[in-house]
Amino acid sequence: MTTAMTCTRLTFFTVTGIFLQIIGLSIFVFGFFPVKPTLSGISGSESYLDPFCDSALNSNESDKLHSEKLRLLYKELSGISSKYDRLILMVIDGLPAEFVLGKDGQPPRKVWKESMPYTQSLLVNGDAIGYHAKAAPPTVTMPRLKAMVSGAIGGFLDVAFNFNTQALLDDNLLGQFFRIGWKMVMHGDETWLKLFPGLFMRHDGVSSFFVKDTVQVDRNVSRHLPTELNSDDWNLLILHYLGLDHVGHTGGRNSPLMASKLKEMDDIVKTMHLRAMMDRSHDQGQTLLIVVSDHGMTENGNHGGSSYEETDSLMLFIGLSSNISDYVAATNNVAFQVDLAPTLALLFGVPIPKNNVGVLVPGTLNSLRDYEQLRALELNSWQLLRLMQAQIPSSLFGGFSCNCLLDGKCKGLSSDISECSGDKEKQLLCLFRNAVVLHGIWKSKKLTESYVMEDFSRALDAYNTFLKTASEWLASKTTEKPFLLLGLGVSAMLLSCLLCVTLFLSLFKEVYHEPKERVCSFSYRLSLEDVFILAVLLTLVISMGSSSMVEEEHYVWHFMVSTFYLLLLFKKAKSFNYSEGMNILRDYKVGSIFSLLISGRLLRGWHQGGVNWTYLPDISKWLEQVGSGYVKWIQQISNFLVIGLGLFTLFRTRTKRKSVRILAFGFSTCGLLVLLHAMRYQEAMFEVSTDYGATLTVKLIYLILSVSAIGAALVLPWSMLNKGKSFVAETGDCLYLIGSGYILCWCLLQLLLQQPINSGPILLLLIQILAISCLSSKDLQVNEWVEIAVLYYMGMAGHFALGNSNTLATIDVAGAFIGISSHSTILSGVLMFMITYASPMLFVLSLVMYIGANLRNLSHSSTVSGHQETSLGQILKLNLGFPCLVPLCINSILLTAYTVVLLLMRNHLFVWSVFSPKYLYVCATTLCTYIGVCIVAVTVTYTISVTSYLTTRRHNNS
Amino acid sequence: MKEGKKPETSINDDSISVLGAFSVYLITGLFLAVGFWVARNKYSVDLVSDPSFTLRIVSSIEFTVVVIIYSLFRKTPEKCSYFNALGRSILGLISGAFINALGAIALGAPIGMQYLTKTIHWSFLMSVFTFVPATAVFGASWTDWHRVFASMKPTGNIEYMIFVPAYGAIVGGWFGAWPMPLDWERPWQEWPICVCYGALGGYIVGQIVSVSLMFFIRKHKNLKLA
Repeated sequence: MTTAMTCTRLTFFTVTGIFLQIIGLSIFVFGFFPVKPTLSGISGSESYLDPFCDSALNSNESDKLHSEKLRLLYKELSGISSKYDRLILMVIDGLPAEFVLGKDGQPPRKVWKESMPYTQSLLVNGDAIGYHAKAAPPTVTMPRLKAMVSGAIGGFLDVAFNFNTQALLDDNLLGQFFRIGWKMVMHGDETWLKLFPGLFMRHDGVSSFFVKDTVQVDRNVSRHLPTELNSDDWNLLILHYLGLDHVGHTGGRNSPLMASKLKEMDDIVKTMHLRAMMDRSHDQGQTLLIVVSDHGMTENGNHGGSSYEETDSLMLFIGLSSNISDYVAATNNVAFQVDLAPTLALLFGVPIPKNNVGVLVPGTLNSLRDYEQLRALELNSWQLLRLMQAQIPSSLFGGFSCNCLLDGKCKGLSSDISECSGDKEKQLLCLFRNAVVLHGIWKSKKLTESYVMEDFSRALDAYNTFLKTASEWLASKTTEKPFLLLGLGVSAMLLSCLLCVTLFLSLFKEVYHEPKERVCSFSYRLSLEDVFILAVLLTLVISMGSSSMVEEEHYVWHFMVSTFYLLLLFKKAKSFNYSEGMNILRDYKVGSIFSLLISGRLLRGWHQGGVNWTYLPDISKWLEQVGSGYVKWIQQISNFLVIGLGLFTLFRTRTKRKSVRILAFGFSTCGLLVLLHAMRYQEAMFEVSTDYGATLTVKLIYLILSVSAIGAALVLPWSMLNKGKSFVAETGDCLYLIGSGYILCWCLLQLLLQQPINSGPILLLLIQILAISCLSSKDLQVNEWVEIAVLYYMGMAGHFALGNSNTLATIDVAGAFIGISSHSTILSGVLMFMITYASPMLFVLSLVMYIGANLRNLSHSSTVSGHQETSLGQILKLNLGFPCLVPLCINSILLTAYTVVLLLMRNHLFVWSVFSPKYLYVCATTLCTYIGVCIVAVTVTYTISVTSYLTTRRHNNS
Repeated sequence: MKEGKKPETSINDDSISVLGAFSVYLITGLFLAVGFWVARNKYSVDLVSDPSFTLRIVSSIEFTVVVIIYSLFRKTPEKCSYFNALGRSILGLISGAFINALGAIALGAPIGMQYLTKTIHWSFLMSVFTFVPATAVFGASWTDWHRVFASMKPTGNIEYMIFVPAYGAIVGGWFGAWPMPLDWERPWQEWPICVCYGALGGYIVGQIVSVSLMFFIRKHKNLKLA
């Protein structure tokens, strides 16, 4: 760098870097988490009509029609006779299909085969037909159940954006059944109850929380079986057995408990088959029994990823009365998990769910007549075509028009079939056309009653080819990743990261090289702390590559931050001079370091975060066990102490301005209001707080807080009266006051929003900030950028100390509705962001105070007497450069590194369960850093320009 | 006081050669191994199955050896008798254990009754590695402690022998804590087992480093003299 960086150029480049980063990030996110276009609404009777007709049928007919009428309407429109009246869906959690059906044409291992004698005999006799149903990752229960009943493969963002409601709102089978008046019963995993609240007539949910329990969890389901099988008031019985999954989690595939668990499942299948299907003594109608599993398991019994062992789930139809010849034909079939939805819909005469990508399982309709089979395939094709219409430009559909399929008079639809080639979309349409043509030929020949068997199988094949291709294409749309976009995004981020680091380095050079009279002279030697800060960054980047380190990230932050405190202590000991003796204790330094250490340790112990060790005891659990009274005490004490510390900080500058007193008054009023709210309305907070008084109080608090924070920032710079002080001292005082105002404001807001248990950590974080500012004002002998980096690190450690983790489950949703009278997604989102990022934001905001303190120190030391001559830009650059660049740099490095990690890990087992949620957190941290740095930059620039303006005016006047 | 110190350090410098330091290390390392051997063969416990008991055996054996050896190299032997050095190193053991335990807790060692004995025994072992040799040699002389540990300006072989392995043990223990949060579900991931392994490894590495440092410095000096 030959020319020194001017302030304007620095700002310009920084802003460019930020914009580049935002653009890169959005491109990457858009590419990595594709949001598939889904059709809204629910399939109705229009699904039995030609997809090219704009159906005049009103969509909400299903609401109007009585359920029984709707059922008859569907039956009439579909033209498929429904043989079955009742369905038993038995879900065995985590059962790999290999246990029942074997693998690669081989029968299952002896121990598994012998454990399920009845099921095996059903397969041998041809009473049952089994499929290896391939499940899509993430292979965990809830998304898999959704896939089974809706036929759609959800994207990751589905999960992320729906975390406040778990109910399945998309079109699904259970909803369709409910609409035609089915009575449904569910016993087993309570996930069903979360997904379908209010749909079940009877239910008994069991929790999958106690993984060690492999016996009772299934007994609680089976105990209902005798009564349910005797009663005839249900149409759908869902039994979800969790025991096998628990056996897998505790002992893996070869657990000694596995054989007995399989035997238990086999007995249940036997009971149901004999009682519900063979026993004709009650007039309960024809029953179909389907045994499915939601996912498989690895050798160790884990699941979640995309290996064959995990995705190999079972789909076993019992009682289809299809003519299966032998054991191999009954076991050696392949399907997809999503195929269950259209199959069941067609078997039971309801419309196929709208976003289904599955196809009819071949072989399940063999007992139907020829025209019914073709009709079923046609309906399935129409539904997929509707879904494709949302994704393919309509110009490609030009050849089709309403009812042309029926009449066989579609444009360009010649009566001969063609070889399909070209790009995928055209090929799909061509395949569809072929199927339609063949179907038409078969229909016309059937009327003339010529020989049709060959035509029938040709039409069947054509439909199956189309369905298979279309389903694969639609499924790939939801999972494919456009590499061009990803590459573009990553390179933009890399570029901006590079830019940020270059800016930082150039500023660094300038600051530490320019003043040659300083002690640290020419060659800047890295001290222990500098090395440590860089090592932390490196460690973080490396640890991001390991899934368990991502899960347990809080350990890294806490460990690193407390190590830094110890390094400070070491440094202090190093500079300790024996001759000074006890003087050392007088300047608060050692005390500050110890309070940092103690508060850091308390913060670490407050919440046992992460994923694997959450059961270990921590302070919050202990407090809640002892009783809520203690939590309340802690809350009130923290509240008082926050107010006290705040007032102490405000008056520490010894300025007797009126505005400071007004500010202090505002804060103490607000603090008391928060206290009042906590004491009065805390109990009601966890219910839906519709209390008018509570909402009003909260709104008042919001108002006062924002007015005092913004007002302080706007007014304080103008109200400088003291003529004796220099410009730098004046600005320093002013910024210090504004900064402490910000911090207090934020702390009070958090005391209001956070759960009561978190008020302790808020107080501890405030203490930490005050301690570190006390340290830095006493000349810490640590470089400025190191201090700022440490503030950033402390903010992240505090983030985890407030109970956050890298899973989406720890986001505090309850707090997001405090003080909001009507439901508003944006407002709750903002509140949720504020709650989650309380600590990083607090520490970034404390930079204002830090800059103020720095300026005050500068004014005390006599070396910078000639500061006034330097330009405004120079002052801004020297004081604002590091506080803005260091957080941006750290964040940009972490973001870029993690983006690369995510890209490398895109096929990893835990990409959806561990890496993607973490990426969302990283993005939110980026946003938090941007907002925080922006506030700091604006405040400091405003204050310095106002003060310099006032100073020059005073100079001119005098 | 300062004038008096200079010749003493030079005396100390001569008092132990590189070879001597090497043999001291051999003996201490041997007795570390003996400690583990006794625990394993006499009481049939090891660090994983019963960390407290094993640590107690190992640290008591190692403490005895370290005190006996390092008290020989005490400073100002004319003022401070051998038994005096033994006595003060017991004090050093206790206070060192206290400081080590505090440091471990500050860095996040678990607190709770079931961990208390483990933490105490671990901190005794760490104290044997870090504080005991220094107290045996320096006593309560703050200037020596400050010069060696904080400023890291050792003079003479014995001071290298004190401070390099001590820092090695601390740094090794720090790195040893890294595998603890991982979900490998190995029994040695418990507190304080892997930290002990780390500290032992760091201690041994520190010994090797200090021997080579002494060797090179002597060479350097010889070159200078020549």
